[in-house]
Amino acid sequence: MSIPAYSFLLLSGAIFTLGAVGFLIRRNPLVVFMCIELMLNAVNLAFAAMSRYLNSLDGVVFAFLVITVAAAEVVVGIAIIVQVYRAGREMDVDELDLMKN
Amino acid sequence: MVVAFALLAAWELVTAAGVVAFRRPIYNALSLVANMLGLAILFLILNAQFLFAAQIIVYAGAVMVLFVFIIALLNPGLDLTLRRGSTEWIYGIVFGVVFAGLFGALLYNRGLSGRTGADTPEAISAIGSVQSIGVALYTKFLFPVEVTSILLLVAAVGAVYLAMRKAE
Repeated sequence: MSIPAYSFLLLSGAIFTLGAVGFLIRRNPLVVFMCIELMLNAVNLAFAAMSRYLNSLDGVVFAFLVITVAAAEVVVGIAIIVQVYRAGREMDVDELDLMKN
Repeated sequence: MVVAFALLAAWELVTAAGVVAFRRPIYNALSLVANMLGLAILFLILNAQFLFAAQIIVYAGAVMVLFVFIIALLNPGLDLTLRRGSTEWIYGIVFGVVFAGLFGALLYNRGLSGRTGADTPEAISAIGSVQSIGVALYTKFLFPVEVTSILLLVAAVGAVYLAMRKAE
């Protein structure tokens, strides 16, 4: 491999940071979910890179499990968002504070 | 190879910034699709063909179709990128310092010190990429796979329950 390992880790960290920033600053729950997906993808990239550079398949298997968990999470999250929309609430995570306090 | 990686890295950063910065949710979703396709090609560069296929089928195929479908169904409006009158910029500074520290540590300590395993590219290609992952999944990682299957079942039941419930 001519590409050094830390370049993949830097890219992964940069994508994760962008996802975390989006998670903090966006207000639409759908976009917040997309930012979570972005962070999970960044972690998958780090897993795959380490798996390749350390000659071990464990990272690939773990990334596969992360993909599965992310799919399950999206299904439940989008069902909740649709319920919130059907209840007539505004699509804004700052307004959805019924369970606060 | 290096040129391909540099182009893909730039593509990933631009599309990730698009996911964060676009104000229309459908643009965010399409930007995320582009990001995931680029990530799939990065998996191919990393010799992880199984993850390449799983990424395209599960993420770009299923998850993003669900996202775009819900966006088309709910038709959410534009939202402001920044929250008004809040103190959340403090979290931003904390996050920034933490991640800058991590990047600095990564650049300072570039060598890999982990113990290397036996799954060299030659060993994997001798029995096949998907076969070797299947063997790992159903021997070494059998318990996590079973737990994940239970999680998927719970998620499916929960989604059906939420979809059936009438809004009060």
